[in-house]
Amino acid sequence: MAVPKRKMSRSNTRSRRAQWKASAPKLVKVVENGKVDYRLPHQAHVVSDSAGTPLFMEYKGRKVADI
Amino acid sequence: MPTPTKGPRLGGGPSHQRHMLANLSVSLFEHKSIKTTVTKAKRLQPYAERLVNFAKQGDLTARRKVQGLIAGNSRTNKSVVHELFTVIGPAMANREGGYTRITKIGNRSGDNAPMAVIELVMEPVSPKQAVVSEAEGVAGHAADEAPAETAEETVETEEVTESAEKTEEDDK
Repeated sequence: MAVPKRKMSRSNTRSRRAQWKASAPKLVKVVENGKVDYRLPHQAHVVSDSAGTPLFMEYKGRKVADI
Repeated sequence: MPTPTKGPRLGGGPSHQRHMLANLSVSLFEHKSIKTTVTKAKRLQPYAERLVNFAKQGDLTARRKVQGLIAGNSRTNKSVVHELFTVIGPAMANREGGYTRITKIGNRSGDNAPMAVIELVMEPVSPKQAVVSEAEGVAGHAADEAPAETAEETVETEEVTESAEKTEEDDK
């Protein structure tokens, strides 16, 4: 099995980890019944009732799946 | 005919993939809608639609072909083949392809695999087309009935003119 020959410096470790970047998801703005919502494109979204309880998943007005 | 898949098989080997596609399509025809990964749903789509095309043919040869592909020695799968040929095939009679629909539903918690729901499109072919065919039918009827209607109208107009003349005479 290959084994590291030298200790990896804290600087090198941190330089490597500095390249890990999170990217913001590209959302689309949807206005439904006067409410603004941001959703992932081409993907079903969760429909919830007025109390905020999730009910089911919907895409283009069609019920797709239960939760 | 589905395009041959490139790259590695599902599950590891060609036979494993054959079994997975057969089992997925059996589940799809049994439940009409199944949740699976996007990759599997995309592989399943052409396979399942080909089976539906066999079901639309509906003859014994087609049935034996489908049974050879998905039924094997399983009796449950055989009953699914029966349902495919008696329920799903006739329901798809007016549909020219596009028998299944894939909807992405986000990533699975656990391994973050992108998931999708693949379902049979069982509703009747778009209402627009139904309206068009209906309109064509009406147009055809109208063309047949048109001469008769015009004849009636001319008769009516004559009667009207006659009655008008009579009223004029009465006034005099």
